Amino acid sequence: MSDMYDSGTNGRFEPRIVAFFCNWCTYTAADLAGTSRMMYEHNARVVRLMCSGRLDPQFVLHAFREGADAVLIGGCHPGDCHYQSGNYKALRRFRLLQRLLEQMGIEKERLRLEWISASEGDKVRQVMNEMTEQVRQFGPLRLRPMPNAPHSEPVADLELAVAAVEQGMS
Amino acid sequence: MPASEFKSNGVPKIGVYVCHCGINISAKVNIDEVVTFAKTLPNVVVAREYKFMCSDPGQQLIQKDIKEHEINRVVVASCSPLMHEPTFRRTTAEAGQNPFFFQMANIREHVSWVTADGTKATEKAKALIAGAVRRVVLHEALEQKRVSVKSDVMVVGGGISGIHAALTMANSGKTVYLVEREPTIGGHMAKFDKTFPTLDCSACILTPKMTDVRSHPNIKMMTYSEVQSVNGFVGNFDVEVRRKASYVDNSLCNGCGECTKICPVNVRSEFDEGMSMRKAIYRAFPQAVPNAFTISRKGTPPCQSMCNIHQNAQGYVTLVARGKYPEAMEVILRENPLPSVCGRVCTHPCTVACTRAKIDEPINVPGLKRFVADWAVEKRLDYHLPRPKTERQERVAIVGAGPAGLMCAYELRKMGYQAEIFEAQPVAGGMLAVGIPDFRLPKGTLVGEIRKLEEIGVKINLNSPVGQDGLTLKRLHEMYHAVFIGVGAHVERKMKIPGENLGSVWGGVEFLRRVNLGERVRLGRRVLVIGGGNSAIDAARTALRLGAPEVHIIYRRTRAEMPADPDEIREAEKEGIQFDFLTAPKAIHGDRWVTSAEFLKMKLGAPDESWRPRPVPIPGSEFVMPCDDMIVTIGQESDLRFLGNGMSLESTKWGTIVADPLTLETSVKGIFAGGDCVNGPEIVVTAMAAGKKAAISIHRYLNNLNMFVGREQEGAFESNIVTDTEGYLVKKRVPLPAIALDRRQGFEEVHLGYSEEMAKEEASRCLACAECCDCELCQTVCEPKAIDYTMKDSVEKVQVGAIVLATGFKAFDAERIPRYGYLKYPNVFTSLEIERMVNASGPTGGQVSLRSGEKPKSVGIIHCVGSRDETTNKYCSRVCCMYSLKLAHLIKERTGGNVYNFYIDMRTPGKGYEEFYDRLLEEGVHMIRGRVAEVTDWVMTPEEEGKLVIRAEDTLIGVVRRIPVDMVVLSVGLEPRPDADDVRRLFNISCSQEGWFLERHPKLAPVSTFTDGIFLAGACQGPKDIPDCVAQAGAAAAEAMALIDRGYVQLEPNTAFINEDVCSGCKTCIVLCPYKAIAFNLKEGISQVNEALCKGCGTCVAACPSGAAQQHLFTDEQIYEEVEGVLSYV
Repeated sequence: MSDMYDSGTNGRFEPRIVAFFCNWCTYTAADLAGTSRMMYEHNARVVRLMCSGRLDPQFVLHAFREGADAVLIGGCHPGDCHYQSGNYKALRRFRLLQRLLEQMGIEKERLRLEWISASEGDKVRQVMNEMTEQVRQFGPLRLRPMPNAPHSEPVADLELAVAAVEQGMS
Repeated sequence: MPASEFKSNGVPKIGVYVCHCGINISAKVNIDEVVTFAKTLPNVVVAREYKFMCSDPGQQLIQKDIKEHEINRVVVASCSPLMHEPTFRRTTAEAGQNPFFFQMANIREHVSWVTADGTKATEKAKALIAGAVRRVVLHEALEQKRVSVKSDVMVVGGGISGIHAALTMANSGKTVYLVEREPTIGGHMAKFDKTFPTLDCSACILTPKMTDVRSHPNIKMMTYSEVQSVNGFVGNFDVEVRRKASYVDNSLCNGCGECTKICPVNVRSEFDEGMSMRKAIYRAFPQAVPNAFTISRKGTPPCQSMCNIHQNAQGYVTLVARGKYPEAMEVILRENPLPSVCGRVCTHPCTVACTRAKIDEPINVPGLKRFVADWAVEKRLDYHLPRPKTERQERVAIVGAGPAGLMCAYELRKMGYQAEIFEAQPVAGGMLAVGIPDFRLPKGTLVGEIRKLEEIGVKINLNSPVGQDGLTLKRLHEMYHAVFIGVGAHVERKMKIPGENLGSVWGGVEFLRRVNLGERVRLGRRVLVIGGGNSAIDAARTALRLGAPEVHIIYRRTRAEMPADPDEIREAEKEGIQFDFLTAPKAIHGDRWVTSAEFLKMKLGAPDESWRPRPVPIPGSEFVMPCDDMIVTIGQESDLRFLGNGMSLESTKWGTIVADPLTLETSVKGIFAGGDCVNGPEIVVTAMAAGKKAAISIHRYLNNLNMFVGREQEGAFESNIVTDTEGYLVKKRVPLPAIALDRRQGFEEVHLGYSEEMAKEEASRCLACAECCDCELCQTVCEPKAIDYTMKDSVEKVQVGAIVLATGFKAFDAERIPRYGYLKYPNVFTSLEIERMVNASGPTGGQVSLRSGEKPKSVGIIHCVGSRDETTNKYCSRVCCMYSLKLAHLIKERTGGNVYNFYIDMRTPGKGYEEFYDRLLEEGVHMIRGRVAEVTDWVMTPEEEGKLVIRAEDTLIGVVRRIPVDMVVLSVGLEPRPDADDVRRLFNISCSQEGWFLERHPKLAPVSTFTDGIFLAGACQGPKDIPDCVAQAGAAAAEAMALIDRGYVQLEPNTAFINEDVCSGCKTCIVLCPYKAIAFNLKEGISQVNEALCKGCGTCVAACPSGAAQQHLFTDEQIYEEVEGVLSYV
């Protein structure tokens, strides 16, 4: 289980990744990766949800606005959802979000969805490492600040996107 | 945020507690740095660190701060919330706080254990703590709902684990539903002879427990049953159990076993690992609990399902194999009044579907049917067709006494209707009588079978052509309650070439009819038969028998495309008929009589609509062949002239009657039609199927029933039975004898039937796909009348508070490692087979013997088959070392031979296990350390002659050894059951990578699952031996009882709620909820969540366009704060 990367090296771009994991499968898998002492990249911060179906598309856009370079969504495998079908809802939202991101000129790979079951600790490690490396290649996500923004936060067309999403995504 | 926005608990004052977890966290994360950082975060009042936050002093630290520093929100940065969130919530609650002003940061599983670099780990820990601190500010006081718990429990699986769990809970007064898939409880343990290391008898310790289960007033056994669905939640599960029909009423069965004595079906016994046979009605072993019999009926076997009239082929074939011929005849006659006819001329779709073909050749089903019918005639068996139970007055007219008409009449008579047939010919039987020559179907048998039909009241009017002499269809329609038309196709098609009307140019049908009706037909020297179907062969062979010295069959395609039966073609060829392929007639020459015919050569072109290559004429290839007679057999059509006379019956342009394919009703109400006059020329059995279908329709019509519903399985359909064809020896079909060629002058029947011995041998090849063959013999001998063939599966609904899963394991399939020769060499056995062999009640009565019956002088036991192996299962199966030693002891005891154990490592961790190993070494069992490379019969020295050679490296002495032995035992490992994944989904739990059910925590919650209220016992969670299974079953029972005896469960208050002021009433949420927990309040125009039904997934919340829907503990704002928090300090 040697780590592919030496995260101690300086000067290298360290992406910020927010990971939304469902409580039953992927969060548990991440715990398993821990108890199995699988070393992986440190970049992702896990936010626990009860179900990937809880993933409001706004969470993703909000994370990007707050400086995330990538967002990872983890849910149960198809057919395995603890709540019957929440993961399918997540899949629908994910597909739409990817299209939306592309239209705004953001690499769609910056948003990733993975089905990881409670027993797949190794998949957590693998996905974390892969995604970190890929986003490293992309470089930081630079959102253009809105000229008249009240707090000069890095808000871009995302505001529009958030509004669009609020309008009618279900 | 201004204080007014906090919904409760006043201005936030947060305490942050960072845990070292010994050195688990502190070895990577710089705790001091993190604590210093936490102190800088907004609203944080105190930040502390401690070695073990979960310990008493750690918890007291928090409680002290709540009291002294008046902190009102707590963040603990330690392990996973799935581990200790409940602990710390309790801590804050004990200090007088609402437990939900609490948040955990997972800096062990998600940080220190997975991050190589300490600096990065510290950074990540800070970020997670920042997220938690930001989030906890928005937490609210919540109330945990209490829900009462049902007091009954369910145990799924009746092996030793299930039995022990059930008994434990039943003894404490709980009502236990014990669900077992098999007809008996006992599981794997019931198969064993002795158990290690004490060598006590498995049956002696298990059967008393099984009897306890049966007699326990608190246990409701549900054997031969499966859980079909599970709904609800912890404390309140609604379970549907499918009780499979056993066809034996357990309350009546007295266990006398008379039924098994008479049952003709032999199938491999699962209980004896296929080493003995059991009957289709069986009890797995004499001590089975419940001690009742079960009929294993797997459905409709392929032979029966593909037969157009669903004759029970497996039934009569099985009965023939046992020499029960009258019973076989009775089974045949249930569906078919014409056995000797079908036994001779049916094109047997049954054999085409026969499973035996996967091994060697299909069973000769028609040959066996013919044998039974002939036997009945020969022995003058006075059989009778079944008579109707009640007579009915409705009269049905049937036009045509062919197979369709006769079958229709038979089916109608069985139901009690009055059936009257009108036949134009002087004989009954249709094509069977006038179209098929005597050497294929002797007329006597047909006449006999038709007489039996008349005997049960079928009236047949011969020489009564409908459409003449006032006997019109219209009149029949008026005089009878219903009419069936089955006039067949008795007119030969014309070739439409010049000279077709010359003398001595015969239509095939007419030619055969004349011969069959006994007319004298004279033929010349050379007869040409045009066509390639069965009637061409019949006509040619008839012509030969009438004395024509030279008979040709002229066909426009090649032999491969001939529609005639290949066997018949071969016989015709043997008899001297010449075939001219790729030849088509162009014109017929002659004055009054034919003298010659002109032909064209053809070649094969592109496929036509029948998917056969189209014959294409070769220009200029014309040639002339002199001949004296020509017989044209290019296809038949119906003579429908009789339809006329005021009836508006629709017909097609191909000269067939229009009838609904499902009901066979024609365009005139009350008139039905089927067989060749509807479908064009087909085979006997399809015509009979049409007659049967029409009879069903007529019954429905006369009783005003729905004509269409429930008719899917009329006619041939695909069987869904899967039959294991492994391990059978090749045994080809017994050929049907035929008379010598020199005896084929007259019309003597060519094919002789089977002799009794041949019939028995052929019938014994049947694999009994459906197991029970529906012969119903058991019913005749059952005194208490316990057998009920009409029994159906039923579904029982049960409400329980907790469920213990004890579904066990499956032994590794040794065939997956071909180099060990299982199923290749007969004397390679699996350990389970040997377990049965050494069992006194097993297939060999406790003797260890080779397949030949001899005692082995040397036995090799190969360990780790399907365990500790990269190519199969990596894990150790834990029990194989010990049971291999046990088997080594037993084999040595029974045979006195040399026993060799081939092991990788000996694993004997258990009470008395190592001592047992020592004892075996003293007994002189050879131990060779090394994984076996292969088992082979390739001998290299004279000592190896006739032996199996085990080749392995002896790693202790460093040489490769070849050990010749008589018997090889493969110590197979344990695997998850093949349907573990389905079961896991059913109960909403998880599986490990290997497929074992996943426990909540390997050490702290080994019998719990992630789904509250569902517990694990025994080998379904991982390989384990009997003591461990029993211990775990006890633990699971205790956990389940702890849940139930508390009387209530507290539900996590993470339900959804809707802010009524914001809700716009769009109803988006309603359709998304998988639990139908959201209802629309029409009066208010808003959606409302029923908290009792909501399970807290939050799908509705994510979809709410106005943000009115929110989830407790996971509000949008809380998650935004957490996201901002984790991103702010990377």
